[in-house]
Amino acid sequence: MYEAVAAYPAGDSTVSRQARTAADYGYDGIVVRTRNATFDADAISNRYGIEVVGGIEVDAADPESAAGAVGNHRSECPVLLVRGGTNALNRYAVETDRIDVLTRPMAGDGEFNHVLARAAKTHRVHVEFDLGPVLRRSGGPRVQALQGLRKLRELVEQYDAPFVVSVNADSHRQLRAPRELQAVGEQIGFTADQITAGLEAWGEIVARNRGRADERFIEPGVRRGRYEP
Amino acid sequence: MSPDIIMKHLPKHIRPRWRYLAVAIEAAPDADIDRGAFQRALWYAAGNLLGDVGSADADLTVFGFEFDAGVGEAIVRTRRGETDAARAALACIDRVDDTQIGLVVRGISGTVRACEESYLGDGRPNLTEDSVAFADDQRSAICRDDVAEISLPEGFVAATELDFH
Repeated sequence: MYEAVAAYPAGDSTVSRQARTAADYGYDGIVVRTRNATFDADAISNRYGIEVVGGIEVDAADPESAAGAVGNHRSECPVLLVRGGTNALNRYAVETDRIDVLTRPMAGDGEFNHVLARAAKTHRVHVEFDLGPVLRRSGGPRVQALQGLRKLRELVEQYDAPFVVSVNADSHRQLRAPRELQAVGEQIGFTADQITAGLEAWGEIVARNRGRADERFIEPGVRRGRYEP
Repeated sequence: MSPDIIMKHLPKHIRPRWRYLAVAIEAAPDADIDRGAFQRALWYAAGNLLGDVGSADADLTVFGFEFDAGVGEAIVRTRRGETDAARAALACIDRVDDTQIGLVVRGISGTVRACEESYLGDGRPNLTEDSVAFADDQRSAICRDDVAEISLPEGFVAATELDFH
C-alpha cells in the first residue's frame, strides 16, 4: 500500500521523515507530490525499507496552464497528478491520458458527474478520494467534504472508474495507518476493501509507468521480445 | 438525610467486556499534552464522527497516558465489538489543545497489562539540542534518535539524519 504526501518545502516534514513514519505505519511506499522537494530515494529506501517515488502535483488555475505543466513534467516523473477543484480542471484532467491522478476533485467549487466518471474510466485517470478534511476539519467544511466524498463514491462505483485514496498529509503527523483509514472509511460509507484498493492503486500506477519507461516498451500490449536484435 | 446506598457490583458474567487499544502519540518536542486534554480531544473526535449514540456505545476512556519530549503512549479503553469505531475516532484526532499530533494504534488487547507488555514501553526518549547543516546553513535542531526538528525562520521542519549535509 502506498500513500501520497507533500513534503518540505511545501510541507512541514521532509521526504525522509514522511518515509520513516509511513514505513512505521506499514506502508510499502510513498509518492511525493512536491516537485521541488529534494531527496535521495535509494538512501531512504535502504534506511527505512520503504519505496519513495517522485511525483508532481500540478496546481494550475485553468486547463491551459495545466496542459503546459503536464507537457513539461510528464517525462520527468513516474506519477503525474493534477489538482482539480474547478469544473474546467476536473474535465480537463479526466480527459487527458497522460495524467495519472486527478486530486481533490470536490475541493472548492469542483463538481463531478457521470460524464466525468465515464471519461475517467476511458482515459484511465484515477480519481482521488481525499480523506484529509474528514480527519482534520470539523463542522460545516467537514460535512461538505463528506457530501462530496459520497457523491464521488457513488459515481465511481456506478461507472467503475479507477480511484486512489489519500489523506493529503503535509506533515508526517497528519499521516494515518492503513487500518485507521479503513476504520474511518467504514464509518463514512466506504468498505475496507475500497480503501485498501485505493491505497494499492498508487503502487499500480507507479508499476505501470515504470513499465512504460522501460526501453522494451513499445506501446500498451507490445514489448520488444527476447529475440529481437 | 438517608445514607448513600452502596450498589453491589455486577456479577462477572454480566459485566461489560472491554478492549484496550495501545496508542503511540507523536508531537512537537516542546508540546505539553496531559491525559485530560487527550481525553477531551478523543471525546470531541468521537462525538463528531460517531455521533452521540455511537460515542456512547464506544464508551472511550483514556486509561494510561504518558507523554514526554514529543512522544507519548496512551491506553484507550472501549467496549468489545466497538474497536473499529474506536480506531476511527482516534484517527480523527488531529489536534490536542492546538498542538498537532500524529498517532497510530499499535495493537489491541483484552487487558491493560497485556496491552502494556505487548505493545508499549519503548523507554524514555533522549532529546539533545544540536546544530545541524540543513538547507545551505547551520541550524539549531532538537534531535531524538535519528529524527530532528530543525528550527527555520518560517518555523520547525521535521527531518531525519538523512537530510543533514
